[in-house]
Amino acid sequence: MGKLFSTKLAWRNIQSNKQVYLPYTLAATITVSMFQMMISLILNDFVQDRSSTLVQLFSMGAIVVGLFSLIFIFYTNSFLMKRRKKELGLYNILGLEKKHIRKVLLLENLMIGAISIALGIFLGNILGQLSFLFLNYLLQLPVVMTYSVSWLGAGVTAAVFMGIFLLTLIYNTAQVTFSNPITLLKGGKEGEKEPKSSPILFILGLISLISGYTISMTIDNPVQAILQFFLAVLLVIIGTYLIFTAGSIIVLKLLKKNKAFYYQPGPFISVSGMLYRMKQHAVGLANITILAVMVIIAISTTVTLFVGTEETLENRFPAENTNSLMTNYGLSGSEVEASIQEITEHIDELTVDFGLEVESMDSFRFVNLIGKFENDAFNTVSPEEREFIPDMVLLVPLDDYNRMERTSINLEDNEVLVYEAGIEVNSDRLGLGDNLFLVNELEDRPSVVGAEADLSDTLVVITPSAEAIDEITAAYNTEEDPYVMYWQGGMYWETTATEGDVMSYGKMMQAAIGDHGEEVGVFYESRSGNREEWYSLNGGFLFLGLFLGGLFTVGAALITYFKQVSEGFDDRERIQIMQKVGLDKETTKRATRSQIVWMFTLPIVTAALHTAFAYSILQKMLVLFSINNPQLLITVTIAVVASFAFIYWIIYRITSKVYLKIVE
Amino acid sequence: MSFIEVSNLKKVYTSRIGTKGTEALQQVDFSVEKGEFISIMGESGSGKTTLLNLLSTLDTPTEGAIYLEGKSLSDIKDKHVSKFRREQLGFVFQDFNLLDNFNLKDNILLPLVLAKTPVKEMEASVLPLAKSLGIDALLDKYPYEVSGGQKQRVAVARALITKPKLILADEPTGALDSRSSQNLLEIFKDINRLGQTIIMVTHSARASSYSNRVLFIRDGKVYHELYRGEQTEEAFMEKITQSILVSSGRGE
Repeated sequence: MGKLFSTKLAWRNIQSNKQVYLPYTLAATITVSMFQMMISLILNDFVQDRSSTLVQLFSMGAIVVGLFSLIFIFYTNSFLMKRRKKELGLYNILGLEKKHIRKVLLLENLMIGAISIALGIFLGNILGQLSFLFLNYLLQLPVVMTYSVSWLGAGVTAAVFMGIFLLTLIYNTAQVTFSNPITLLKGGKEGEKEPKSSPILFILGLISLISGYTISMTIDNPVQAILQFFLAVLLVIIGTYLIFTAGSIIVLKLLKKNKAFYYQPGPFISVSGMLYRMKQHAVGLANITILAVMVIIAISTTVTLFVGTEETLENRFPAENTNSLMTNYGLSGSEVEASIQEITEHIDELTVDFGLEVESMDSFRFVNLIGKFENDAFNTVSPEEREFIPDMVLLVPLDDYNRMERTSINLEDNEVLVYEAGIEVNSDRLGLGDNLFLVNELEDRPSVVGAEADLSDTLVVITPSAEAIDEITAAYNTEEDPYVMYWQGGMYWETTATEGDVMSYGKMMQAAIGDHGEEVGVFYESRSGNREEWYSLNGGFLFLGLFLGGLFTVGAALITYFKQVSEGFDDRERIQIMQKVGLDKETTKRATRSQIVWMFTLPIVTAALHTAFAYSILQKMLVLFSINNPQLLITVTIAVVASFAFIYWIIYRITSKVYLKIVE
Repeated sequence: MSFIEVSNLKKVYTSRIGTKGTEALQQVDFSVEKGEFISIMGESGSGKTTLLNLLSTLDTPTEGAIYLEGKSLSDIKDKHVSKFRREQLGFVFQDFNLLDNFNLKDNILLPLVLAKTPVKEMEASVLPLAKSLGIDALLDKYPYEVSGGQKQRVAVARALITKPKLILADEPTGALDSRSSQNLLEIFKDINRLGQTIIMVTHSARASSYSNRVLFIRDGKVYHELYRGEQTEEAFMEKITQSILVSSGRGE
């Protein structure tokens, strides 16, 4: 058989099987384009420039989308093969050898694969650009986001999908090789056995899900524990698949045992029908669930982030004007205090010159120690020997603490106040430098540290005096491998500036404050000056969130559609037989509707549950962005779940009409 | 008044507007008495399946009418057609039409479930019926686990469980070996003896020899009719075979 003939035959097969090949190619193309867009996001300037964590996070997303693509293309391919077996069997009987059929299959796959990959990459780039344009227009962010088109992205996409298509080819070839022409001829009609319920898989699924949940509930710092986070995501995904496949069968069999329920027209048709093809069914449902979770999480976190930008600003900048102070090593606490007084006076002068007045001024000094706790004593560690996540001690003099907190606490010389953020002091004594202090615990987080301190391993220590801190640092700095500890400070003040001149005041201060001696470095920031930057950063995240949400929603719609179509073809014959023996259209509709209610609610409810357990991680991630507002996150998440449920409901309504049309 | 009265029945299939349609049935008249077992014989394309579809309300006639106990089938409203089919008719098909996703018991119960019969009643009726058909030991099995003959007996059970007025059988022995065929026909004879009216479409002389009367159909018309009377099955079969040979112009 000539090559040309095989090619012709393959091409004609594709054409004459348009009815199944067209949707398949379309689905593959859309999947490729989704993956292409996902890859482009990783390579996007915004993502690349922000942080390596973001790149990791998006790579993780790309892996999930890749896995989803594999499952989805396999799913649609098996549906396609089922309907084509008869034709292939006929070829076999008419005299084509299996090796020829394999060749035809190879060529067919090659054509479809090449078309979908090329079209998908092209479409992905076009759609990506268009949706970026649309979102840019919609959000009106200060900074315009650009979609990155690159050969690297296209290459990765092409490679991944070549792999996927190769796998489907292997599967198809195996199907032809290991079956005789008669079974091929009978095609999809061969009696499928009722699936067995497997409690072991179900229990494994439960264990996987629960451990995933547990990890996600107990992760302290999601960014530093990114591997753990990934593990949790993976466990939850595995758990979802196992529970859906094994659990649904167990539940359906239980329903079947309940005779009073089962022997009614609706349940009789739907329960038996669902049980019959639950394996594929469950995979489809699990896919939808996972996509739903991704949509919900992507959108709700980024919306929260964007809506909470003002709160971020409030937390990062407790006052409109902030000075961060760095001092040289060797300066004592009292010298730093003197500098702060000088700077305060300088600020007063500058402000008056500007025609305004300083309304309030707060300042505090601190020393930050980095090292390791051992037996309730702290030792510094040189930068080279530091662990991935070092322990930190923040030393603040009592005077400054009292000033900031508006309190008047007294401490003995050998006493300290301690706030435990990630580090616990087990005994009532704490070794710092050469001194041993008696520990008094603080319940509330001091305002000198932000909520994000709770996520790092930090111990806040309020010492009786600045001199005590000088003593402690001196003790650490005399060690052989000196790691320089130095005083730092923060100054916060408000002025009588109105909204009109707050920006120009900030610019003036920025220019004027910088030059303050050699010993103390002053770094000025204004809240208004940062506002635009934060809005564009958080807006960028919102943008990505909406983009991903849209992407995954399209994925969910695609799966739902294919599920309904393939089930429609599967069910058609059964329904027609039943109609012959007296099933009326009303009951058909009612039975399908009850099936639809099931299939609609299950993914949404599960997705909501997953989201609920992911809440703790999400909340902590947002704290990293200085948003410590559970109320906001919960409200936004509920709104997003509700809107996704609504959109999914519309998708389901439309696709179930397709189903009913096929069945009748 | 007969139990079933078929008068002036005509069915034309039109494929496209303007083209002349195919006449599947030209003019069919016959009647069936209660408790009869009638075979309709004819070659492929003679119109026998069309006739059966019209009898079973799966299709509607172009002209003429079918009366069941004096009531025209075309008068049944669309909404009630399924109910009518479920309660008044029992079907036995050539390819069994059992559902793979139900076990045999549920396959038999299907019409009762659709009719919303109480569970207790269903459970009570299925076992004696299955016993009489010799499939009581198989009830928990699935269609793909049993033989063709057993499948067809299940299909008969499904047809009988609603105690229908009429059993319609479309080539019921078509997919069975000779032993299973004989077994099935004996069953038909037995249930007919108990008063069940049966109309069976077949092209097997052996199968039709079990009935009381045979209608021969060709080119959409009933052209011949044979009564069994008191003859034995063998004698009746001989007569049927002869009629077929004569009609095809190759008689002695």
